[in-house]
Amino acid sequence: MARIGVFVCHCGENIARTVDCARVAEALADHPGVEFSTDYKYMCSDPGQSLIKQSMKEHRLDGVVVASCSPHMHEKTFRKAVSAAGLNPFKCEMTNIREHCSWIHEDRAAATEKSTDLVRATVERVKYNQALSPITIPITPRALVIGGGIAGIQAALDIADAGREVVLVEKEPSIGGHMSQLSETFPTMDCSQCILTPRMVDVAQHPRITLHSFSEVDAVDGYIGNFDITIRKKARRVDEDLCNSCGACMQACPTRKIPSEFDAGLGTRTSIYVPFPQAVPNVPVIDEPNCLYLKSLARRRKSKKPARSRKPVCQRCVKACGPKAIDFQQEDRLVTEKVGAIVVATGYRLYDIGREQDEPGISGYGEYGYGKVPDVIDGLQFERLMSASGPTGGELRRPSDGKVPRHVVFLQCIGSRDPAKGMEYCSGICCMYTAKHVLLFKHKVHNGRATVFYMDIRAAGKGYDPFTRQAMEEPGVQYLRGRASELYRDGDVVRVLGVDTLSQEAVDIKADLVVLATAIRPQKGIQDLTRKLSVSVDHHGFMNEAHPKLRPVETATAGVFLAGACQAPRDIPDTVAMASAASSKVLALLSRDELEREPQVALVDTANCSGCFHCERACHYGAIEHEEIKDGQGRLIRVVARVNPGVCQGCGSCVAACLSNCIELQGYTDDQIFASIQAI
Amino acid sequence: MKELQDLARRLLLEGRVDIVIGYQQGPRGVRPSFVTRPEQADALIFDERCVHNLVTYLSPRRAHLAAWPRRAVVVKGCDTRAVAVLLRESHIDREDIVLIGLRCGGVHRSAEASGPLTAESVAFRCADCSIREPELVDHLLGDPRPAPPGNSRLAERIGQLESMSHEQRREFWNNEFSRCIRCHACRQVCPMCYCERCIADKTRPRWIESSAHLRGNTAWNMIRAMHLAGRCVGCGECGRACPVGIPLGLLNRKLAMVVDEHFDYRATDDPEVPGPLGSFRSDDAEEFIV
Amino acid sequence: MSNQAPSAARGPSADNATFEPRIVAFVCNWCTYTGADLAGTSRIQMASNVRILRLPCTGRIDPLFVMKAFERGADGIIVSGCHPGDCHYIVGNFHARRRFRVFRELLDFLGVDPERITFSWVSASEGGKWAQVVNDTTRRIREMGPMESWPRASTALDDDLHG
Ligand SMILES: Cc1cc2nc3c(=O)[nH]c(=O)nc-3n(C[C@H](O)[C@H](O)[C@H](O)COP(=O)(O)OP(=O)(O)OC[C@H]3O[C@@H](n4cnc5c(N)ncnc54)[C@H](O)[C@@H]3O)c2cc1C
Ligand code: SF4
Ligand code: SF4
Ligand code: SF4
Ligand code: SF4
Ligand code: SF4
Repeated sequence: MARIGVFVCHCGENIARTVDCARVAEALADHPGVEFSTDYKYMCSDPGQSLIKQSMKEHRLDGVVVASCSPHMHEKTFRKAVSAAGLNPFKCEMTNIREHCSWIHEDRAAATEKSTDLVRATVERVKYNQALSPITIPITPRALVIGGGIAGIQAALDIADAGREVVLVEKEPSIGGHMSQLSETFPTMDCSQCILTPRMVDVAQHPRITLHSFSEVDAVDGYIGNFDITIRKKARRVDEDLCNSCGACMQACPTRKIPSEFDAGLGTRTSIYVPFPQAVPNVPVIDEPNCLYLKSLARRRKSKKPARSRKPVCQRCVKACGPKAIDFQQEDRLVTEKVGAIVVATGYRLYDIGREQDEPGISGYGEYGYGKVPDVIDGLQFERLMSASGPTGGELRRPSDGKVPRHVVFLQCIGSRDPAKGMEYCSGICCMYTAKHVLLFKHKVHNGRATVFYMDIRAAGKGYDPFTRQAMEEPGVQYLRGRASELYRDGDVVRVLGVDTLSQEAVDIKADLVVLATAIRPQKGIQDLTRKLSVSVDHHGFMNEAHPKLRPVETATAGVFLAGACQAPRDIPDTVAMASAASSKVLALLSRDELEREPQVALVDTANCSGCFHCERACHYGAIEHEEIKDGQGRLIRVVARVNPGVCQGCGSCVAACLSNCIELQGYTDDQIFASIQAI
Repeated sequence: MKELQDLARRLLLEGRVDIVIGYQQGPRGVRPSFVTRPEQADALIFDERCVHNLVTYLSPRRAHLAAWPRRAVVVKGCDTRAVAVLLRESHIDREDIVLIGLRCGGVHRSAEASGPLTAESVAFRCADCSIREPELVDHLLGDPRPAPPGNSRLAERIGQLESMSHEQRREFWNNEFSRCIRCHACRQVCPMCYCERCIADKTRPRWIESSAHLRGNTAWNMIRAMHLAGRCVGCGECGRACPVGIPLGLLNRKLAMVVDEHFDYRATDDPEVPGPLGSFRSDDAEEFIV
Repeated sequence: MSNQAPSAARGPSADNATFEPRIVAFVCNWCTYTGADLAGTSRIQMASNVRILRLPCTGRIDPLFVMKAFERGADGIIVSGCHPGDCHYIVGNFHARRRFRVFRELLDFLGVDPERITFSWVSASEGGKWAQVVNDTTRRIREMGPMESWPRASTALDDDLHG
């Protein structure tokens, strides 16, 4: 017979006001298997815990039920107390009679009856609780950071500075992300490159950071503490070790009209290029679709005629390169890295108002000409036009004719807060960068005029409100509440039609330049990566944190953390704070040699398993492995399922999928559930 | 017939298989035949009375066949769907088995029937069957057959039941299930009921009460139907085996209709198609969820 | 096991005015259980007929549980977990959604009104929704009356239906 102790808590008056705690304790005292039953004012207090420990000794209890608040509140507390008194902590369970009873009912009789039922079910369950011990798994003390924007850079430096190795994977030829494209940054207006570049160099020179640029994560295997990462190093066709960054190849390359991604299409570059002068690594990459030599190879491969001439086309870069670093034979390479933790910092992209969209439910802006009107640009393009390193050398000249615009119209919330376009959320940073753009514009064009269409001004950060106010109060600046309903080209101006919703007056502006503050969206195709990582995303594709308040940088997958704009639109201060928070989580994890995990994992009853692997199909984490059962002579008898406890997350999906119920979830076994259903 | 017998003999003589499982004339109608010696091959037959789904004998659970691990089995078009499920569920290895497919134009409902196939006598599963030639097989035998006569009684019965009130339906099933004697013949003949230890035999805890009374019987038949949803291939063997005549085919057909309607899944002879339970679509309809 | 079988405690002909339905809720730990906690901390009053059993995930909820609860005298069932896309275990609720689609259809075909089961998505922040699910289910089950024990009665169809 079981010897279970029942401890009913009054929680001061919180429970006792509606539940007759003494009656609940009395009712349970007679229940079979209950050895001791009592009630007390505050079970979680020191005297309360002592009462439990004392009674456990006195009555030689082999199970404890505490009827009090939610287990989310105090399960750890009571399990610890029970453990201190010498019993396995998993022999202790809580019944929630506060949140799930006393606080939501007024009728004392009904609440008392319900409490009694709930406690009885827990008592029955505890009879089947097994002593469990935490699972220990070894940890590889290295971290992977995916994405080399400011978030990834900060996380990599924090972790490496604390003494752990970091593998940083960036898909572009250089790290830096969007911050490297910005001119000045709000709210202090310091030059973006000036504060970012030193950190990029730190990354390059850090002895504990391995940088894989122009690379992507191909596969993720394993689990917290023990991830195996396969990284695809895309063919750069320039040997990173030989190249001395002299730039002679770029001088020699005859293709010069390729739109530069870094300049958001406003400047040009060569086929062999570094995205920008301060790139890290400062090693060029050859752009396959545009390189004359590679194009000629592809053409030759396609045509059926025998190779007309053996003479290589172009290859001027090869001739120009002193250290012979250019290698047209180079192909994609796969490298593997072992890490214990992962930080995802893949950032964002800007919404494109064009007709073609990559997701259903998202539409472009036909009323703004689907992005085809010249002199209608987005925020990043404006940043490039303002940047000293930009295509115009920092002079504001509009794309169509190079004239200095006198009147600029800024439209906020393009795509944001607009369910009709598919994105109902606020992009968070546009109010601030538009204010910044206004100030930058006024700084460059003193007597220029700026009109800003806005919905609300959201500037809640430190020093942000004065910053936006400063922009609004600049002479020649007008903030209009409302959306522009239409814009089109009219001679050499752009006509912007709209309504000022505060005065209800129609407005019709002849603008020289229009800047759209387009929505912040997750990186294109990011679901490929989140699937590999088992990280869930919201319906826009922003990654989900484990808990919006209490676990903002963790994900539901143990060992995977989030930093920066991949989780939601964020500005640089928030991004950096989040990156440092994620790093501290990573460091806490990597500071140990072994990891203890809750033993809530599945376990196969090998003798009865039929090897149908329904469980394997149900398991999202790939925790189910195949185990061969052999006879004495080593002949294979059967193949059965086995759960890798390091990978198993304890959801129990496999259990419900197993038709003959021969896989059990520890802590939620059939026996335990059956017993509580029988009793409730 | 000769073709079949010759093939069976050759497979045994050449040592390709240890046993050929097919059909032979029994004392009452046709019965399964287990041919282990070449000279027995002449007993093999195939005609409209070959109703059994012999794929059930491929399961390693059939301990009495354990001495003959490499098996050849005679299959009709519908039977190969069971092979596909067993392959999908890693229950058999394709290399270990030889499938002898026979061109089929329908079978009777009973192995003891005689005379030509009619709309009255045709098995329910044949009524809308379009597979004249089984796929997935190693050998294809027999002459081309015409399509079997149509019969929509099973669908009509389901419709009839569906048009009743809940109370009437419960009465109907109570009456059926209360007769169940828990012999588990339905499970024994089912090619999909290959579990090492059936849920009905699990004792800790005992989810399904073992004595033959309505409560346990209902639990048993309900849970078995659940276990066959999306796996049942519609061979109707369970209903045929039930000694007290419970129309188990109705339940299984109904759930086959459900997985077809909601998950676009139909029993198939393609083992690569994922089963409907155990897979999902993130946009599965959920109008029943609040 | 419990010595009072709840079904025995109530007469078979309890009339609907005094009938207090017994409802068992199988909920996931992360969303609905926490949502129910929130309803508590927000002091949202609701019917006291529902008894919650906590499971890690809706993916763990086996139709066996529902069957057993009905056998043990439950008049109604709630199954509730995270909204699609929010499952703590990413996809457990997608499996549950399919499983319960089939199970409901099966119950319906066996003559058990599937409205005896409420399936809901209640997130950790939807304390109010949880209260509504509890109240709606209680009201509905009260109207439906007690889940009677399985009756034995004569058949309505006696045709031979085998093969
Ligand atoms: C017009 C404009 C002006 C702004 N001005 C300011 C300002 O003044 N002040 C301010 O605080 N904030 C400003 N911001 C916001 C700022 O850009 C972001 O806060 C910041 O860039 C976020 O950093 P991140 O590292 O999270 O993302 P990103 O900068 O987007 O970096 C992500 C990195 O990850 C890489 N990556 C993506 N996917 C993968 C993958 N699958 N594998 C490997 N690598 C990958 C990308 O190539 C990129 O290098 C502005 C934003 C805009 C649009
Ligand atoms: S409990 Fe969940 S995570 Fe663990 S093996 Fe089963 S399905 Fe996989
Ligand atoms: S579902 Fe059950 S029987 Fe099938 S392989 Fe998994 S544990 Fe074994
Ligand atoms: S269902 Fe088709 S293949 Fe099967 S016995 Fe009937 S007619 Fe033949
Ligand atoms: S009823 Fe279910 S558990 Fe039993 S043998 Fe059939 S499939 Fe397996
Ligand atoms: S064959 Fe019929 S009587 Fe036997 S267990 Fe199955 S349903 Fe019951």
